[in-house]
This record gives sequence, structure tokens and C-alpha cells, in this order.
Amino acid sequence: MASRKQQKEEARQRRLEQERAQTAEAQRRRRMQMLGGVLVAAIALIAVVIAISLGGSTSAKTPPPNSPQAKQTFSAVKALLNGIPQSGTTLGDPKAKVTIDYYGDLECPICRAFTLGQEGGGFPQTVKNLVRTGKAKVVYKSFCTATCSNHSKSLFNQQQVAAYAAGKQNLFWDYAELFYHEQGDETTSYVNPKYLDTLAKQIPNLSMATWQTDQKDEAILAQVQADDNQAGQLGLQGTPALVVIGPKHETLVNGGNFATYSQIQQAVNAVS
Amino acid sequence: MTTTAHQADPGTERATRRRDGLRMAIIVLGVIGLIIAGYTTYEHYNGFATLICLGGHHGKSTCEQVQSSVWSELDGVPVSVLGLIGYFLLLVSLAFRTELARAFGFLVALVGFGFSAYLTYREVFTLKEICEWCVASAICMTILMVLTGIRFLRGEPEAL
Repeated sequence: MASRKQQKEEARQRRLEQERAQTAEAQRRRRMQMLGGVLVAAIALIAVVIAISLGGSTSAKTPPPNSPQAKQTFSAVKALLNGIPQSGTTLGDPKAKVTIDYYGDLECPICRAFTLGQEGGGFPQTVKNLVRTGKAKVVYKSFCTATCSNHSKSLFNQQQVAAYAAGKQNLFWDYAELFYHEQGDETTSYVNPKYLDTLAKQIPNLSMATWQTDQKDEAILAQVQADDNQAGQLGLQGTPALVVIGPKHETLVNGGNFATYSQIQQAVNAVS
Repeated sequence: MTTTAHQADPGTERATRRRDGLRMAIIVLGVIGLIIAGYTTYEHYNGFATLICLGGHHGKSTCEQVQSSVWSELDGVPVSVLGLIGYFLLLVSLAFRTELARAFGFLVALVGFGFSAYLTYREVFTLKEICEWCVASAICMTILMVLTGIRFLRGEPEAL
């Protein structure tokens, strides 16, 4: 039989054991509560971070179709293109002896400046003096630069196909010009189906139903991809890049950089 | 067998060794992550002039394409800078042996893991380009999330 001292020691041990178990249980419960807090805080923080990442990225400048601003923009486009034949992505007389292959990316801001004649960009003067007169024609070709740097090849294909589909109705240049006029910040995700639709709706002569159907045409996508591959094979480093092809030879005008009208004129004269 | 003052309990010793190993693994991965984030931050502000990368096209490496994309910044702050801050906070949390510090370390790793997973999704499905440095950092963060989770749930003796 255990002595009184032993019994007291055993009772003390049991009490300590119980206290340890209670402490461990309390600790476990506290840790689980903290774990819950950590998980909730983590989910909330991740959601906030993703929301910030997605937010503020729809800076499109597309005015509503038929609004005075849209009409004004389209008038400027028409003033440049009116009376010049269009076929697919070609602007100008198909029989013109000189062809200017214009490699561009519709999201590229340098292409915008070049096409709209900003900061000395020579495109409007080229259209007025060389294309309208039948001396040269411009053929637009897709080359993924700004869109691929900031977004993806699939977005590039989507936007270029939208423009090429307008080309099936011989309105490619109307669409491309509008795209450049209303271009957003290349680092934002402004290009989406709604933006592409809004551009199309601003072109009065464009049949929306046909345009929608044509965007699913595999041949158009293949053309965009072929142009992009061709730019790669030519070793072009950026957009806009102009390859001027004439009866004598062909030449690259200031590839990947800004071309002025005098540079384009010189190249056209050289290859003619 | 009795335990004397000079002879530690083998079970306790094993647990201590495991805890030390865990801390060491977190430190090593945290430092690797810090180096990756530091390097990519440097390259970001250096215009990617000396960025080492395996893939590339159109005169740009895939790493540059990913790191100069719209997804490479959070409200104007490069995500590599956020990574730098995250790895630093994670290492700082190791300096304290409190439950709160362990929970904080786990929270940082969890958020880092979540954001890395989101950015990896953007790389693979939106940009369709892979940046090796980003993948390496995402792997570091994933392992760190597991290790800091174990550290938090397992606990340590409370001490500074």
C-alpha cells in the first residue's frame, strides 16, 4: 500500500498533468484561432492585390458611336482616305509600281504618332502625295511588338483580325485609323471585344453582322500570323517598319523607328 | 533511464534539431528569394540591359517581355520590389520566436504564394511567356509557405 507521501506526490503529478493538458489545449485553440485569422487576412490581401492589378487598366478613348466626337474623328479619317481605293489591307491603286509594306501593331504608340502625323510622322503626307497620286500603294502587315510586350499574342491576333475583317469590306484603313486615333495606353488592358466593337460601329459603311462573321474566318487569322512571321524572317526590330518595294529593288526605311515623309519619299524615288 | 542535467532528453533534442533545420531552410530560401527579387528589381530599373534569360524573340527576352508587361507592376510599383519587401519581412519574422511572429511569417508567405500563383497564371495564360526568374521566385514562395505553415503549427519555445 502506498504511503501518504507517495499518494500526495501522485496527486500532485495528476494535477500538473491536467494543468499541462489544459495549457496545451488553450494554446492549440489560440493557434487555431490565429490560423483562421491568418487565412482570412491572406485571402483579403490577395484579393486586394489582384483587384489593384486588374484595376485602372481600361483607359480606352472610344467615344460612343454617333456622338459628335466620334463623328469628328471619323471625318478626319475620311478626309485622309476619301477617294483612295482600298482592298484588304492595301491602300491605293493596286497597279502602283511602288509598294510600301507597313509593319505595324495597332497598340504601338509610335505607330500611332507615325500614322497620325504627330511629331513629324510621315504617313499622312505619304498618303496625300504618293498614294493618292498613284505613285505608291501601302500594304499594312501585322507585327506584334507593343501588344506582345505588354499583353499577349492572342490579344494581338484578336485586335489585328478585327481590323483585317474590316478589310474584307475594303474598310481596313478606316478601322486602323480609328484604332490609332482612339488608342489607349499600351500598358493598360483597354483592348477588349467591346472596344473593338465600338470602333467598328463608328464606321457608317461597315456591315456589323458581316464583320462579326468575318472575324471567325481562319484565313484572316492565318494572314495575321503569316505577316507576323514574315516580319520575324525579315529581322525587323520594331514598329512601325516600312519596306519600300519598287521595280529596281527594295529597301527598309528607318526600320522600327519613326519615318519622316522625306525619308519615305527618298526611298520611293530610289526604288522607282 | 534517468535524465541528468548534462544529458538532454533525446526527444526534445530531436525536436530542437528539427526546428533549427526548419528555420535554416526558411532562411536559405528567403535569402535565395531576396537575391532573385533584388536582381530583377535592379534589372527593372536598369532597363533590362544585363538580364540573363533563356528564351526570347523579336529582339526581346521572354523575361523582359514578362517583366515589362502590364502585369509586372502593381499601381506603378514593380512586383519585384514587392517580392523584395516580402522576402525581407519573412526573414525579419524569423528573428522573433513568438507565436505572433510565426503567424506573421506564415501570413507573408501565404500572400506571396497567392500573388505568385496569380502572376504565374498571367504568365502562362495571358502573356504565354515564361520568365525563369519569376518561376524560381514562385517556387521559393511556395516552399516557404509550406515551411512557415509547419513552423507556425508546430510552434517553438517562446523566446526573443
